[in-house]
Amino acid sequence: MIPTKFEYAKPSSLDEAFALLAEHGPDAKLLAGGHSLIPMMKLRLAEPEMLIDLAGIPGLTGITVRDGRVSIGAMTKHATLAASEELRQHAPVLFEAANALGDPQVRNRGTIGGALANGDPGCDYAAVMLALDATFTVAGKGGTREEAASSFMVGMFETTLSPEEVLVGVSFAAAPASAYVKYAHPASGYPLVGAAVVLSMNGDAISEARVGVTGVGDHAFRAGSVEKALAGVRPSDRTALEGACAGSAAGVDVRSEPAAGAGYRSAMCDVYVSRAVLAATRG
Amino acid sequence: MPQIEIDVNGAHHSVPVEPRLLLVHLLRDKLELTGTHVGCDTSSCGACTVLLNGESVKSCTMFAVQADGSAVITIEGIGASDALHPMQEAFWKMHGLQCGYCTPGMIVSAVDLLRRNPDPSDDEIRAGIEGNLCRCTGYENIIRAVRSAAAALRNDESRHSVAELLPVGGSN
Amino acid sequence: MNLVGAPIDRVDGRRKITGTARYAAETPLPGLTYAVMVESTIPAGTIAAVDAAAATRASGVIAVLTYENAPKVEQHKVAGMTDRNLPLLQDRIVRYDRQPVAVVVADTFERATDAASLVRIRYDTSVPALSLAHGSGYHPEHSHGDEPSVYERGNVDAAFAGADVKIDRTYTTPVEHHNPMEPHATVATWDGDVLTVYDATQGVFGTRSRLAVAFGIPPANVRVVCPFVGGGFGSKGSAWAHTVLAAMAARAVKRPVKLVLARPQMFGSVGYRPATIQRVTLGAKRDGTLVSTLHEVRSQTSIFDEFVEPSAELTKMLYAVPNVRTINTVVPLNAATPTFMRAPGESSGSFALESAMDELAYAVGLDPLEVRLRNHADSDPSKQLPFSSKSLRECYSVGAERFGWSRRVPRARSMRDGGLLVGMGVASATYPTNRSAASALVRLSSDGTAHVFAGTQDLGTGAYTVFSQVAAEELGIPVSSVRFELGDTNFPMGPVSGGSQTTASVGNAVSVAARSARDRAIGLALGDPQSSLHGHDADAIDVRDGRIFLRDRPDVGDTYAAILGRHPQGEIEERGDARPGDEKTAFSMHAFGAQFAEVRVDPELGTVRVVKMVGAFASGRILNAKTARSQYLGGMVWGLSMALHEITRTDARSGRIMNANLADYLVPVNKDVPSDFEAYIVPEDDPNVNPLGVKGIGEIGIVGAAAAIANAVYHATGTRVRDLPIQPEKLV
Repeated sequence: MIPTKFEYAKPSSLDEAFALLAEHGPDAKLLAGGHSLIPMMKLRLAEPEMLIDLAGIPGLTGITVRDGRVSIGAMTKHATLAASEELRQHAPVLFEAANALGDPQVRNRGTIGGALANGDPGCDYAAVMLALDATFTVAGKGGTREEAASSFMVGMFETTLSPEEVLVGVSFAAAPASAYVKYAHPASGYPLVGAAVVLSMNGDAISEARVGVTGVGDHAFRAGSVEKALAGVRPSDRTALEGACAGSAAGVDVRSEPAAGAGYRSAMCDVYVSRAVLAATRG
Repeated sequence: MPQIEIDVNGAHHSVPVEPRLLLVHLLRDKLELTGTHVGCDTSSCGACTVLLNGESVKSCTMFAVQADGSAVITIEGIGASDALHPMQEAFWKMHGLQCGYCTPGMIVSAVDLLRRNPDPSDDEIRAGIEGNLCRCTGYENIIRAVRSAAAALRNDESRHSVAELLPVGGSN
Repeated sequence: MNLVGAPIDRVDGRRKITGTARYAAETPLPGLTYAVMVESTIPAGTIAAVDAAAATRASGVIAVLTYENAPKVEQHKVAGMTDRNLPLLQDRIVRYDRQPVAVVVADTFERATDAASLVRIRYDTSVPALSLAHGSGYHPEHSHGDEPSVYERGNVDAAFAGADVKIDRTYTTPVEHHNPMEPHATVATWDGDVLTVYDATQGVFGTRSRLAVAFGIPPANVRVVCPFVGGGFGSKGSAWAHTVLAAMAARAVKRPVKLVLARPQMFGSVGYRPATIQRVTLGAKRDGTLVSTLHEVRSQTSIFDEFVEPSAELTKMLYAVPNVRTINTVVPLNAATPTFMRAPGESSGSFALESAMDELAYAVGLDPLEVRLRNHADSDPSKQLPFSSKSLRECYSVGAERFGWSRRVPRARSMRDGGLLVGMGVASATYPTNRSAASALVRLSSDGTAHVFAGTQDLGTGAYTVFSQVAAEELGIPVSSVRFELGDTNFPMGPVSGGSQTTASVGNAVSVAARSARDRAIGLALGDPQSSLHGHDADAIDVRDGRIFLRDRPDVGDTYAAILGRHPQGEIEERGDARPGDEKTAFSMHAFGAQFAEVRVDPELGTVRVVKMVGAFASGRILNAKTARSQYLGGMVWGLSMALHEITRTDARSGRIMNANLADYLVPVNKDVPSDFEAYIVPEDDPNVNPLGVKGIGEIGIVGAAAAIANAVYHATGTRVRDLPIQPEKLV
């Protein structure tokens, strides 16, 4: 399997990248780790005429924690996140998602920015970013803008990123009480159900919960009714927990696939959300 | 056609490549290093795994141009017939192979695993080589092979580190 | 010296761990061109129009072959169990999704791929036959070999009607694709009317005869070479369309052609395990002894060829049942032709029969192992012959002990581990011992080494290794002094590597050839005045480490090297031929085994984890415990995968395969493998089965494994899943 022909450029600055994007318009595609894009190109489901490799642009990688806020460069590899002690401590939800994603070789190439910008309905990080209430930093010719994760994801393979912009990083407040669990497709490893939970606790009861779900609908979503219902719940009270997590996919057009039908997926969504809550309280 | 500079198994190559040439085809068809195999083309099977600057990658899901300026180690560079790497010896002695098609990628992944974790548990071994499929062995002997190679390497840290496999200046 | 049976390291290991073993696609030939197959996108209809103009004009393209311009070749099979009718661009009919409809040849693989995407084909579609359950079928003449497709002993209907306990259940198994890690590949080159093909195949001679028939040339004009195969499991047991098309293309462009299937094409024209619908009825007395068994098998075939999944063969002989009826029905569908896939029949059939036996055990309130023991067949009730050997009772008892079967609490859904449900299941395994005629050639040289040639294949099973051991043992030389070559039609003929027959067939030929080479060398020494053995009696001779000596006076001897050094040619060659004898009329020959599985089921999610699997197998004499155990373990994981994962899905409306790649089709991964996972070799000495005393080991590992897991799942959950695979959805 071989992609169609394309030109390749490896700019050494964002400005160069913007110039290339402006010149080639919709025929250009940005290349990060390539683990979403290259398989699509090999299947000829994506046929860009110009491939702009972001690997040569400095300053797009790394994890920094400052004043209780975590910032991550878009070109940071999954493997870096998966091995980060700082993340394990400050955002276990992201640490766990990075470890649960793909396999070692994929983690060694794939990047967080590439995964998020692709808008794949089965993106593990999408749920995590929602639960973290993360802010995305998007650079364009005219400057940089910030956008909330919740508005960034619009639909299946659809984000608010314009063809002339580059996602350069994400940031969020540290969330030590957080967790990500998923039911992975047994062949591809993509989440059939992925649940990310960030909690604030008041003693042994939940004071506030943010719940992100991926893999279930055509894009990741916040389970708003579950978040409300979880307030005040003691996770050790199993009945109360399961009651609060029921209907986590209510109102969502649940995807149906041979590996997991819609009914099963909805039911599993509740189970995984409650398990993620439990895992987050253990943190 | 872009010209790339690439170190493969310690030898420097300066090669013109069409941008769409996949790294695996550069290795197999242009450099005639056919030990790196193509199994699935969807980055599922890991038969094409090589080390890129010391880290395992699937060479079917990477363009050769992306490897410009990098150092690549293929199975041929892990160890030659007369100078086997302990991981290769372990796969042989522990019968961690049958048809041999997945074996080069499996060995390269296992070498990368031990770079990150020199003393893995069985579960860590299974997770560490989860990106490689084997249809013959049932995996059991592969786990034993990696365990045995890990022990051999821990007892002999001076030799066969991945750093030693990399040419000077090859990593970034 | 006792080399046979020693767990030596595989002799092809060094080449495989260093990446220097060359598979078919890696054959270097000057002037190589690249072919890419274009496949149909509909399952049924005709080609209305082909527009190959853009593809033909594309840069680097040398030829575009379609039904309009393809050279005439023979599409139909001639003879042999592995021979198939092939779609070879000879007509405009589309018989299945992913049928080859064009072949593009270009100077690079990239350009051939580009041009293939430019071939435009317009179809007139017709309504495809897609339903196994509702399609009209027929009883084929044979279910397998010479076995009739409808078989009855006794009177099943009467016995079942009068039975104390009745089980009547239907089980289904899905389409599965072999997916060896090496995609099929062919490199073909012509020299005048002589064709050489480097092919990924389980049978170089079968491929040779198929090519000879296709092109109407003598088999002697075709050479097929295959030193290494990256797994086969049956899919490489037949010559398929791509192999003939590669040769056709090479002839058309007058240059060597390489054609490698992309993984999605592995779901096209290289066979698969057909789906089955199997009804099993068991009639039994209250004590669990069977009075009747009915096994009806409905399986799919293609509309242009016949393949029967022989799922009921084991039902005829596994248990001592007086009244048995088995029926095979095949339903032609608009799908590619199915083929042998690891333990064809036994794997799918054992899921049905051994699940039913488990249901019977619960119905009569007996331990599932005890039910099997009560129905043990001491002789083969279908052939009415004694078994050449049978150690099934030992397999049950050794397996049960190693597994810890006594831990099992009889009632279903009664065992727990924290929040998880625990279940244990058992099943019997059996596989017939097959054998075909085979030959081998041994060349002993004055350097004391032996060069052995046989036209067989090593799919990774260890053929190189065990045949080197056999030759070394017979010759009395170290294994390191044997060089074994295979996979070439220039070597003496061997059968397809299928049906677990390679060792029984070729091993005996190697043994005969090596023994006669040894005897000839001994004869040379005894007749040679320059030898210290001159004039001695052949009966007094022993051989060890390449030295021939008097058994009573070991100091008096001569070496192969010295004997052949004095020989005018410096070497001797002996050919060995071995074929099945009359053992088949005197004995029923089978390997047997017992499979045990323990699962943990998450009751909220329905996910099943197999935590322990123990198989105990008796397969006659084991030539190499290392390669044998690996065969068993590999087979058991196939069974696990059959139970929980594998299914090829066809869209019910479009007839297209929906998961034709390894990101969607599930093959087992490392984390599926039980942490506690063992195959035990039950020692068995069989003097009747064949001279080496070996039975097949390549397939029995999968037999019964899926049933053992399904039975464990029932024991854990109380839910009986009769429809494979056991996906989590079926348990919540």
